[in-house]
Amino acid sequence: MHISEGILSAPVLTTGAGLTAIAIGYSLKKIEYKEVPKVAILSSAFFIASLIHVPVGPSSVHLILNGIIGILLGWAAFPAIFVALALQGVLFQFGGITTLGVNTFNMAFPAIICFYLFRKGIRNGNNLTAFSLAFACGFLAVMLSGIMVAIALIFTGEPFIQVAKLVLIAHLPVMILEGLLTVFCIAFLRKVRPEILNIL
Amino acid sequence: MKNKLYLILIFIFLIIVVVNIPVFAHKVNIFAYVEGDRVYTESYFNDGKKCIDSKIEVFDKQGDKLLEGLTDEEGEFSFEIPQEGDLKIVLTASMGHRAEYSILADELRDTAGSNKDELEEPVSVVSPEISSLDLKEVQSLIEDVLDKKLEPIMREIKKSKTDKISPTEIIGGIGYIFGIFGIIAYFLSRKR
Repeated sequence: MHISEGILSAPVLTTGAGLTAIAIGYSLKKIEYKEVPKVAILSSAFFIASLIHVPVGPSSVHLILNGIIGILLGWAAFPAIFVALALQGVLFQFGGITTLGVNTFNMAFPAIICFYLFRKGIRNGNNLTAFSLAFACGFLAVMLSGIMVAIALIFTGEPFIQVAKLVLIAHLPVMILEGLLTVFCIAFLRKVRPEILNIL
Repeated sequence: MKNKLYLILIFIFLIIVVVNIPVFAHKVNIFAYVEGDRVYTESYFNDGKKCIDSKIEVFDKQGDKLLEGLTDEEGEFSFEIPQEGDLKIVLTASMGHRAEYSILADELRDTAGSNKDELEEPVSVVSPEISSLDLKEVQSLIEDVLDKKLEPIMREIKKSKTDKISPTEIIGGIGYIFGIFGIIAYFLSRKR
């Protein structure tokens, strides 16, 4: 999911950076003071998650956790993912500094979509609906990120359908794994801390 | 609040324990070395998996493409040295992964260029019994032996280039994240 430096063209990079900057500005304005520790913890969870790697075919993929981050943080997913990606770029050379904006947008935007799609059901539904929605949330967030990567790569001349297929097939195990993880987290949180799901 | 934080921490730990897969990264590496008049490259993901059928392009100093090719099942690709001068080898693996490796001109000249440049002079100095053919043979023999001797060192260098992620960096990274959000929290608290 991390697009390396030197692949994307300048317009794609600036568009990504611009959109990410707007989203981070908006979310920092919106964020509640008492929410910040939660954002920090989920940001570090994201930071570590990409070290957990799953070997698939000719490539290797890693956990992303953007579904659960979206559900728990809402718009604050943007700063959380941005900070974690910046540190991954600096410390592990994943992705890169110039592609930071695009990569943040590719992973945080699906998180926001999942937040708006699933938060009500996950918070209010009975156990069965909440769990199936949680699975869908983890699954869909990764899938959308894959599609975003493919879209970003269109402008480099790589054919969209081919890249999208490749990314999605490679991430299928991750989607399933993330779906299950999200179910696990939601089940735990609903039982222990249901109020954590009450965010705007 | 304290209680809440505690619980989130526990659940993050649970995630990490449940999915206890070895800690590796997602990044591609390329390593190249000169042997005789060919350049050999090996490409692999950070976890050691080879990059199969990935595109390799070779550029000169001005950024003009000299040649390109695909890696084989072992993630290897080799090509004849196309020119003297710095070479930049770029690996483009699937899904937006990319890595670069530069070979400097001196590295190339040491092996390939020497055949042409320095051969003639010694011949005239050395006694006439030794023909240039012998010298060539001697030289290629030395090169072969050297290549063989240097192979383990090359492997070591390659291994150290995989730069596995150390726990220090992971813990340090988490520290940075908390620090950054601490600063954000500070500014948010002043706003109120």
